Amino acid sequence: MTFDSSQIFAYLPMLILIGMGCVILLAETFATAENRKGLAWLGVGGCVASFATLLFQWEGAAQATSHFDGMLVLDRMALYLDSTFLAAAILTLLFAPPYLREQGFEFGEFYALVLFGAAGMMMVAHATHFVSLLLGIETMSLAAYVLTGSWRRNLRSSEAAMKYFLVGAFATGFLVYGMALIYGTTGGELSYSGIAGKVGEAAKTPVFFFGEYFIIIALAFKVAAVPFHMWTPDAYEGAPTPVTGFMAAGVKAAAFGGIVRLLDSAFSNPLLVFDFTGWANIVVVLAAVTMVFGNLAALRQENIKRMLAYSSIGHAGYLLVGVAAMGLGSTSAKPAVLFYLLAYTFTTLGSFGVIAWIGNRKDERLFVDDWAGLGAARPAVAFAMTIFLLSLGGVPPTGGFFAKFYLFRAATENPQLYWLVTLGVLSSVVSVFYYLRVVVAMYFRDSARAINPTDAASTRAALVITAVAVLLLGIYPGPFVEWAGPIVGK
Amino acid sequence: MGVLAWITLLPLAGAALTMLVPAEEESIHRGIGLGTAIATFLASLFILSDFDATQAGFQLEVDKVWVASLGIRFHLGIDGISLWLVLLTTFLVPVTLLSPQAIGTRNIRVREFTVAMLVLEAGMIGAFVALDMFVFYVFWELMLIPMYFIIGIWGGDRRLYASIKFVIYTLIGSLLMLVAILFLYAQYHAATGSYSFDYTDLSRLTLPFLPQLLCFLSFALAFAIKVPLFPLHTWLPDAHVEAPTGGSVILAGVLLKFGTYGFLRFALPMFPLGAQTMATPIAILAVIGIVFGALMAYVQNDAKKLVAYSSVSHLGFVILGIFSVTQVAVQGAVFQMLAHGVSTGGLFLGVGLLYDRRHTRKLDDFGGLWKKIPVFSAMFLVIMLASVGLPGLCGFVGEFLILIGSFTADATWAKAGMGEFFANPKLLSVISASAVILAAMYLLTMYQKVFFGPLDKPENRDPHVKDVHGREIWVFGIVIVAALVMGVYPKPILDRSEKSVAAFVSNFQERLKDSAANPEATAHLFPASASPRNPGNTAP
Repeated sequence: MTFDSSQIFAYLPMLILIGMGCVILLAETFATAENRKGLAWLGVGGCVASFATLLFQWEGAAQATSHFDGMLVLDRMALYLDSTFLAAAILTLLFAPPYLREQGFEFGEFYALVLFGAAGMMMVAHATHFVSLLLGIETMSLAAYVLTGSWRRNLRSSEAAMKYFLVGAFATGFLVYGMALIYGTTGGELSYSGIAGKVGEAAKTPVFFFGEYFIIIALAFKVAAVPFHMWTPDAYEGAPTPVTGFMAAGVKAAAFGGIVRLLDSAFSNPLLVFDFTGWANIVVVLAAVTMVFGNLAALRQENIKRMLAYSSIGHAGYLLVGVAAMGLGSTSAKPAVLFYLLAYTFTTLGSFGVIAWIGNRKDERLFVDDWAGLGAARPAVAFAMTIFLLSLGGVPPTGGFFAKFYLFRAATENPQLYWLVTLGVLSSVVSVFYYLRVVVAMYFRDSARAINPTDAASTRAALVITAVAVLLLGIYPGPFVEWAGPIVGK
Repeated sequence: MGVLAWITLLPLAGAALTMLVPAEEESIHRGIGLGTAIATFLASLFILSDFDATQAGFQLEVDKVWVASLGIRFHLGIDGISLWLVLLTTFLVPVTLLSPQAIGTRNIRVREFTVAMLVLEAGMIGAFVALDMFVFYVFWELMLIPMYFIIGIWGGDRRLYASIKFVIYTLIGSLLMLVAILFLYAQYHAATGSYSFDYTDLSRLTLPFLPQLLCFLSFALAFAIKVPLFPLHTWLPDAHVEAPTGGSVILAGVLLKFGTYGFLRFALPMFPLGAQTMATPIAILAVIGIVFGALMAYVQNDAKKLVAYSSVSHLGFVILGIFSVTQVAVQGAVFQMLAHGVSTGGLFLGVGLLYDRRHTRKLDDFGGLWKKIPVFSAMFLVIMLASVGLPGLCGFVGEFLILIGSFTADATWAKAGMGEFFANPKLLSVISASAVILAAMYLLTMYQKVFFGPLDKPENRDPHVKDVHGREIWVFGIVIVAALVMGVYPKPILDRSEKSVAAFVSNFQERLKDSAANPEATAHLFPASASPRNPGNTAP
């Protein structure tokens, strides 16, 4: 194994995040109540620096290069996902400080963990080896567990962290067990390319399939696909709101990045994709159940965070349609999933940003009825929230619409998936119904009590960024579609 | 950029400008809104002058790349059919914004109302002129959101129910249409190797029988909900009754036309075999809707609901005309779309004014208003008679042409479809003709209850019940002039739509022959000699 500076350069974005996280941890020891505000800006600076190095890598990443003995890969798909994670991290760092200050638990560790989490996500997106995949998933998940429980005085936050951690640990168990089974049946292979090379013989043993399924189950836990979604509503509801946004967008995007890369390289052999035992069937069924259940369950929710938790389950279902399409040979499924994750990240962070904004220490305003009259009292924020909700529902001209359109377009390349696409559009009709309940509250009802939001310049800036990004992705998606990758012929 | 792009984007620019003005400055909002709408109308007159009536195809095209890798182009264009619908839109929006009653009784948030109306206008114009299916879909959905807000914020007591019902009904139809669009896109790629959402490309695609039928059904469902065709009409009375006056005018005047326009532009030309199969059921449903709508209108006590059901009846005529596929009937259908927009728009404006004066829409609460407000009574009489279809006013021409056209239609083509009932189009058109009499019954009864009889109710003698004044005179005056001109001199409209309608009819017959000859043939382009329009736009 060679270890030279080019390998360091390839992972500079990740290293910058980790380095900056350590700086924040050190700085926290010297921080006082007044200058602690600067810590979040340090984090934002780290993310921006990381993004800048990422732009430098973009040109060279047109050809995928393998690093660290096939542990990690540097290609445009990974960089696209990295940018998504960085966007999630920056927006979280903008939304979180006013919220943390208002609720009284602003600590530097919070910001450091956001950066560590983002670095873990990047590792997942770059991973081409089981060990690096596991490392990435665990780095990301540990950060997410701690962030979920960071509001220590709040019982719900602790409960959510506990649930999330236990279920997550269980999922990791599946992941490692699956890896071990595959290691055993392929004669000691852990890298994706190595596994793909040995699939021919290994696929004859049922043990190999168990290994494969265990890994898929573990990742299905991470993306909250039904029936592995049980932790989601509680974790999303209990976590501090900016963390919920970070989890819903970043963790989900990373897990999907991992799934796409794993299924597309290690398990891409037609022996594993098709037929009765193929993962394409499994993913199709998961997608159908997840879309329908997520959206139907969201109908009954009164708490907005819970509603968006179920809605995020529904979105995982749409994304799984893309993964299934990829398995069945759709030429544009991969870029469509990437674009969807980007649009979903901005939309989700924006909507959780508004939820964090609207409450204050005494009054969190988490119920749909609490939002009554927002349209008249704060037209700009209500307008932004409307954009996010329409984007989640897939109504033009928003990024969410184009993402869904692109995804379904990719799926319709395969005639077998028309029923799934039809199911998808019908469940998005259902989703529009509950998203519009919030709009109804905001605009069509009059306020019962005054709104005292946790207002701050950084929140406003982040809301403007997200709203503009969501509209831009809907009205002018061209460049983002191109960057997500070419539509390669069959 | 061509004039079509300008008139589509102008209302959006006006909406953006309105949002920048502080919320208190209501008169500025109204001014910007009305000014933008009038400017859009004047700009749309340029289309009229530039339009070449001797051509059947699309004109004044705008064609720019939007998302290159997916084959999405910002492609706009008009023919003799969409030309008039665009003008109807640009005509009705300023009239609505001019009306003091447009915003309804909840006279709040003028800024948001103006923005919603202008975005709605942009969506409507865009959907009429779009020649790219993706662009069409975007504008089609863009109309939905402002109308949802218009009903939900400024509507009546049951506005929450009505607005959500409107959205859900419309979305189910349109999303299934989106799946069909994606299917066509994939089929076009399979047949030619290039990606395109362009209408001029996709409409040349001839599919095998079953896909054609399924695509026709998913398009037809979206359009039938919009029209609305019986039995999918139940959202309409709710939406109309709850919507503020301005919302009702635009909803009835323009939005419903998207259903019929969709059949004319997409469902029939693209899927002739599907249309053939379903022609009989749809024609029967249209006739049921004509009679049912008229009977329902007759028993209503709420003036707005009455007008809403009359729309179900009038739009049934349009569907019948379109499915006759004869030159006369289709021209009548196009004309009836415009006439219905003007006359029903006028009726809703009148009902809105009555509600403003009396705060009731119940017919029983009125009576003898002729003595109290004679000028308005006379104006409303003209508009009402236009809706009845009195010769010399706009409603007559369309219904007359449709009835002649469908009575004389040679409907043997529909025989191969489901049932042979349509093979006797004379029967259908005779039944439909009865609705003309019914229209006179319910509208004249309404008029009689409101304006004639003794002025015995004290509320009606109240000094607040004022006659039309100021801007209201202009609003109703403009509508009446339009109704009169269209009724007396329909030639300019019929002339300009003639070629496009002829092309629609002949294209439909040829396409039907082509696909019926070999219904199992794989997807191919029609005519066979044609090559893809954008050969460069292929996947690498």
